[in-house]
Amino acid sequence: MDRAIIVDHLVKNFEVIQKEPGLTGAVKSLFSPTKKQVHALRGVSFSIQTGELVGFIGPNGAGKTTTLKTLSGLLYPTSGFVSVMEYDPWERKPEFLKQIALVMGQKNQLWWDLPAIETFELNRAIYELNTREYEDNLKELVELLEIGKLINIPVRKLSLGQRMRMELTAALLHKPKVLFLDEPTIGLDLVAQQKMRDFIYEYNRKYQATIILTSHNMDDLVDLARRVIVVDEGKILFDGALEELVEKFAKEKIIKATLAKSDGIVDLEKIGKVRKLAFPEVVISVPRNAIAVAAAELLQNFAVDDLTIEEIPIEDVIRKVFKGGIFGK
Amino acid sequence: MNKYFQIFKISFQEEFTYKINFVMWRVRNVFQIIVTYYLWDTIFSAPGREVFGYDRAKIMTYIFTLIIVRSIVLSARAVDVSSDVAEGNLSNYLIRPMSYFKYWFTRDIASKVLNLFFAAGEFAILFVILKPPFFFQTNIYVFLSFLMAIVLAILIYFSLLFIISAVPFWAPELGWGSQFLVIIVMLEFLSGAVFPIDILPGVYQKIVMSLPFPYMIFFPVQVYLGKITGMSLIQGFVISIAWAVALYLAMRYVWSRGLKEYQAFGR
Ligand SMILES: Nc1ncnc2c1ncn2[C@@H]1O[C@H](COP(=O)(O)OP(=O)(O)OP(=O)(O)O)[C@@H](O)[C@H]1O
Ligand SMILES: [Mg+2]
Repeated sequence: MDRAIIVDHLVKNFEVIQKEPGLTGAVKSLFSPTKKQVHALRGVSFSIQTGELVGFIGPNGAGKTTTLKTLSGLLYPTSGFVSVMEYDPWERKPEFLKQIALVMGQKNQLWWDLPAIETFELNRAIYELNTREYEDNLKELVELLEIGKLINIPVRKLSLGQRMRMELTAALLHKPKVLFLDEPTIGLDLVAQQKMRDFIYEYNRKYQATIILTSHNMDDLVDLARRVIVVDEGKILFDGALEELVEKFAKEKIIKATLAKSDGIVDLEKIGKVRKLAFPEVVISVPRNAIAVAAAELLQNFAVDDLTIEEIPIEDVIRKVFKGGIFGK
Repeated sequence: MNKYFQIFKISFQEEFTYKINFVMWRVRNVFQIIVTYYLWDTIFSAPGREVFGYDRAKIMTYIFTLIIVRSIVLSARAVDVSSDVAEGNLSNYLIRPMSYFKYWFTRDIASKVLNLFFAAGEFAILFVILKPPFFFQTNIYVFLSFLMAIVLAILIYFSLLFIISAVPFWAPELGWGSQFLVIIVMLEFLSGAVFPIDILPGVYQKIVMSLPFPYMIFFPVQVYLGKITGMSLIQGFVISIAWAVALYLAMRYVWSRGLKEYQAFGR
């Protein structure tokens, strides 16, 4: 068992000072601040093997970014245990930092007024790469991300997507073994998104890199993550294979039928929720435990040419996860 | 070491991309000097007039030495640190294997070199235009003492800036206010950047001289001018070394506490 990342009962609270509106409120909060605890993570536990690529999903404010920041040593855990390649991230030992990277869409390490190549050069020195390593890695990243023409242009003149690619290059020059990607495809066009996904896939495969990826982008997960961890309100709700997610959370199954006659078509409502009705095709969703009965009823009461029973598409389940509707709330 | 040399290089490059900003900052400095010059010139307009033991020549010498000392000691990029903390940009540095302190210290040095270079030019120009009396120190021992005072001044200012910049760890919205209070008010008035500290009445002078502020400007200037020698020179060094060490330790402490509070704002 080679576990790259271990997280055990991780808790992170943020203390925030509550402000009342207006000037009097501001003055009041200065002298007698009302403090409030935000429970961003409430006892999160999981572990990840070396070389795994795991998707971290959940609605806004679930605690995904907080987890990644704690894993990369930016946040001091309120309580619980965290280890990344046997290091305590909080100590931020240089040997640890040289093996990880955290890529967040908005925060960037690029020097805004200078061409990206200057930041790359700086990182070469900071990560103490030798010329050979640096040149090889840079060449490879430049080719993979197709940024050859852009590295000599001041960063502020680049588009969002171009900047994201520069950001990624800067973050990966030192070939990190563990990669934390916080919404890496946000703001990219469809072609660029696909390129980014291909790149992440390749990087994971080629270097046996351990990757945690958060995303609100369905395709990222379906394409990349075999395993997903679902978080909501600072707790883990699910941890397992993407396919199992459907079995676990889809409370319904789907009957697809082709009808021979349109007689009594309004009565379909009695069998289940009609999702689509475009004669002769009908799609009905039915609670999992009632599926056999529903299928039998359908066959009995309607003239059916063809019938299949299917799982709800994975996309629908994930969409529900994104919306925070996984509790059935 | 190569790390910090690279940082030095890139900082230098960046300063040049902000040409306008840089020029404006230098222009501000020049204006400050001219205003101070005419202020004191008016006070001393009557021939032979002495105020607080300073005559015209002495005060002008003080002011012109100030230009150089100011540009070495008080030009620092580390004033940006508090917004790094408040806005979460600090994360970009913490995530990489380098020392944040050394990073900013290097950037400060780059900025000081650049500013010194320009200050020397301005100094020459103003010197020709205003023709003030100026004292060129030729005693090598005094000059070495001056260099040491400057190094201590730089260290004191750096630690002080970092301590103040840590305020946003606890109160992100207070960053600017605390910086204003300490840097603009305390520093300008108590360091000797506006008037020489020894014009203050005895008791106040003693109080001020036991604070770290005068060791950033007033003390180095006086050492250069050869006004502080012997026992009082040693006493001055003892106090400023004590402050440099105390503030450095305080800075390390405050930062190790602050980083635990750090919220890494932003997504
Ligand atoms: N610095 C902070 N101070 C106070 N509360 C915070 C801070 N950072 C995060 N939180 C809170 O902690 C919770 C988790 O935030 P986090 O950024 O981890 O969510 P997320 O899962 O990344 O969401 P998103 O999908 O929107 O990026 C949220 O309720 C958020 O408001
Ligand atoms: Mg997030």
